[in-house]
Amino acid sequence: MNKRQEQKVKTRKLIIDIALNQFAKDGLVTTRTSDIAASANLSHGAVFAHFPTREALLNEVIEEFGMRVTKHLHELVEENVSMQGILEAHLKGIEEYEEFYTRLISEASILPESARNTLIGIQSAISFHMLEVAESEMKSSKLIKMPFNLMFNTWNGLINYYLMNKDLFAPRESVISRYGQQLVNHFMNLISIRGEVK
Amino acid sequence: MKMCIACGMPMKTKDDFAMRDESKDYCKYCARPDGTMQSYEEKLEGMTDFIIRTQGLDEEAARNAAKGMMMKLPAWKE
Repeated sequence: MNKRQEQKVKTRKLIIDIALNQFAKDGLVTTRTSDIAASANLSHGAVFAHFPTREALLNEVIEEFGMRVTKHLHELVEENVSMQGILEAHLKGIEEYEEFYTRLISEASILPESARNTLIGIQSAISFHMLEVAESEMKSSKLIKMPFNLMFNTWNGLINYYLMNKDLFAPRESVISRYGQQLVNHFMNLISIRGEVK
Repeated sequence: MKMCIACGMPMKTKDDFAMRDESKDYCKYCARPDGTMQSYEEKLEGMTDFIIRTQGLDEEAARNAAKGMMMKLPAWKE
């Protein structure tokens, strides 16, 4: 890669990083690309040279967030991880980008279709890891047998409810750091066959 | 790390690759029993079913999402 290409890659990465913060702060629907450009110390035109539309930038940022949020889950693949371990890794990923994730789920229904699809794709990657473990623990009678989609949606419903109402649950701190372990323990109690949860 | 060109899954270990062949660009879930890569139609069907099974979405919504996700993957990009 020559110097010019290197610089291009660097600028693209910078725009994505800055945009992730800006979207988290101001909202996915309302953040203006001009604000992102200003925060990155770039001209508005420079941002458009990398991302021709605001939607393209938003999609790329959601995709990048997805890669980062599922990182901990991918890392667990080779280990003999339990359902509790999967839930904890899921929350660990969210906690690092809690503000952005909260915006994403709060605004999901009004996002452009392509951004929405990216979110479904992220959920797909998360559910892929969870499904494998859930099926094996249902088989070994650690977890109650239930349709996986309901298990997955119940878990998401629980954490998303706390995150979307952050102002009521944890106005001045991270929702996940305050309630994460409690939510994991509670969910494990709901899905475990009695006697399996310590 | 290589990513499957047909579904986007990161392929971390040899077991993730089609036929356990690390020179392949697609994963075991995107391979047919004979080792060749699934067609667009087969993959779309598989992804749609997976989304319904794991996230419980309506069939049409799941198919739309699967189409949108596939559009961005190297194997299906126009």
